[in-house]
Amino acid sequence: MNKMTVVNAPRRKVRNKIHIGGYTFDVVNAVFLILFCAIVLLPFLRVLAISLSSSRMIDRHMVGIWPRELNVKGYEIVFSKTTIYRSYGWTLLYSLTYTAISVSMTACLAYPLSVSDFVLRKPISILLLITMFFSGGTVPAYLLIRNLGLMDTLWALVLPGAVGAWNTFLYRAFFKGISHEIREAALIDGAGELRILLRIIVPLSKALFATFSLFAIVGMWNSYFAAMLYIKNPDRQPIQNILRSIVYTSVTATFSDASIAMTNGSVNTLNVQYACLVATIAPLLLIYPFIQKYFEQGMQVGAVKG
Amino acid sequence: MVQTDSAALYRRRKQNPVLRFFSLLWKQRALVMLCIVPMALLFLFHYGPMYGVLIAFKKYDAGLGVWRSRWVGFDNLVEFFENVNCFKIIMQTLKVGIFSLIFTYPMPIILALSLNEVASKAFKRGVQSISYIPHFISVVVICTMLNEFGSLNGLFNNIRQLFGLPRVNMNAGTDYFMFFYIGSAIWQGAGWGSIIYLSALANVDTSLYDVANIDGANRFQKIRHIALPAILPTTTIVLILNSGNILSQDFTKILLLMNNTNRTELEVISTYVYTMGIANGRFDYGTAVNLLVSLVSLVLVLTTNRIVKTIDAEQAMF
Repeated sequence: MNKMTVVNAPRRKVRNKIHIGGYTFDVVNAVFLILFCAIVLLPFLRVLAISLSSSRMIDRHMVGIWPRELNVKGYEIVFSKTTIYRSYGWTLLYSLTYTAISVSMTACLAYPLSVSDFVLRKPISILLLITMFFSGGTVPAYLLIRNLGLMDTLWALVLPGAVGAWNTFLYRAFFKGISHEIREAALIDGAGELRILLRIIVPLSKALFATFSLFAIVGMWNSYFAAMLYIKNPDRQPIQNILRSIVYTSVTATFSDASIAMTNGSVNTLNVQYACLVATIAPLLLIYPFIQKYFEQGMQVGAVKG
Repeated sequence: MVQTDSAALYRRRKQNPVLRFFSLLWKQRALVMLCIVPMALLFLFHYGPMYGVLIAFKKYDAGLGVWRSRWVGFDNLVEFFENVNCFKIIMQTLKVGIFSLIFTYPMPIILALSLNEVASKAFKRGVQSISYIPHFISVVVICTMLNEFGSLNGLFNNIRQLFGLPRVNMNAGTDYFMFFYIGSAIWQGAGWGSIIYLSALANVDTSLYDVANIDGANRFQKIRHIALPAILPTTTIVLILNSGNILSQDFTKILLLMNNTNRTELEVISTYVYTMGIANGRFDYGTAVNLLVSLVSLVLVLTTNRIVKTIDAEQAMF
């Protein structure tokens, strides 16, 4: 009987040794963290609230962080034009091409560098290291793209950042963690280097590739400056630049049907701007829960010294 | 006979470093081939602009190209220092850089230490997941938000009203620029920046806590004597990396926060390089100003590293 109760009794959580002592400390600490989370989330609630409220309520500053007098007109305007779908398409194309090229090129460079008796290991490492401390700057980079005739092409966005010193060194550190005996065994079995890279190194580095692919996709999805410099064609603008132009130039230049609705007061400029903002961040936020763990892994790879 | 020949050849190769290098290169040709395309990209897009830096000392003529344009020595730099706004721009650059470093640097550390003290795993995970979200937000989105929050009807003014303060247009003028710029950087970077500190804290030997508990240490003492020393190397590296960035702010954010009421006051070197060098088409002048910043940044990184080295050689980066 006694034995039974012991077994069935809920197991008491053993408090971690780190946390012994100081009940008030725990409470204050928890309050601090909850407050921090509230500050992080508040702006998002505000954006949703404004995008979904009526024009009248927005103008009288009656909207806080919950929608007042539900109004989806802003979303209707944004999603009824082809502009948004086209820019989604371009953004996706830019992001995926950039990811494919940067991940494959960096791996191709990092693998030879991870081989300890590679003849060019030293010189290439030095060439990479120099780029970490000195760069030509925005203007020469801009002139280069222009002189190469890459303006208004996908390559202007994709190629300049594809191979970078920092990422190459991180990949190399990861590859070095893979036992070199595997490589030697494969060499004895007659496998070529390319085969070793594709059949042994790549399958063993899935976590690395997942993480850096996601970094690349998010980085390209969120960038606007390169496209501002190099993509002049209005039909090829990525989503960030659409948002920028409706917020900083004018809503009606991009969404012409908004002008009637705006003058008769059924939709507010902010409705359209914030609907577009939601359209910009929604894809990333929707996949965020699924990709979060890869990002954390990546940050920890980045913490490896050198 | 043939055998002796190849043995002699082998010995000669071994003795001659040039021959040895090329024979190794041939042996490792598969590895060399893998490097070719990425190295071509590196040369073109990283070393190409470095060659382009030459126009800093030239009067650039697009028709003549970089090499054949006329040399003018330091004229472009002299022009920058003779500019009436030069001093203002440099001061604003330093102000933005130093204040950002001071205010954004400690927050991830505080957050990591605070999270490390949480006993409940689920609570910790939840806070972490939420804290990373802003990292995935682009600078355009952030500035769009700030643009509205600071306006007369905006969120910040709603909060001001709660405290009985009058509604003001915070986007105009320069009064709230630092608050916007640094506040958004903290909002965006605190959670993300805490990850590397948390992974350093995860490696702490828990027996240290056993000893501390036996000695009756309180929570603050445990943080002070166990957690803080554990993250010290990481904090040093992050500080070195950040100090190199003092002169190169997030100029894309500043460009978006500028408007006609504050454009000249908010100008920092990197926005100036963009407006003069690209928007106004003065490529040579923009490159010269940018070159100056790159050199000073390089000196900054090397100096910080040297300082760290003299304090504690183990924690220096190189």
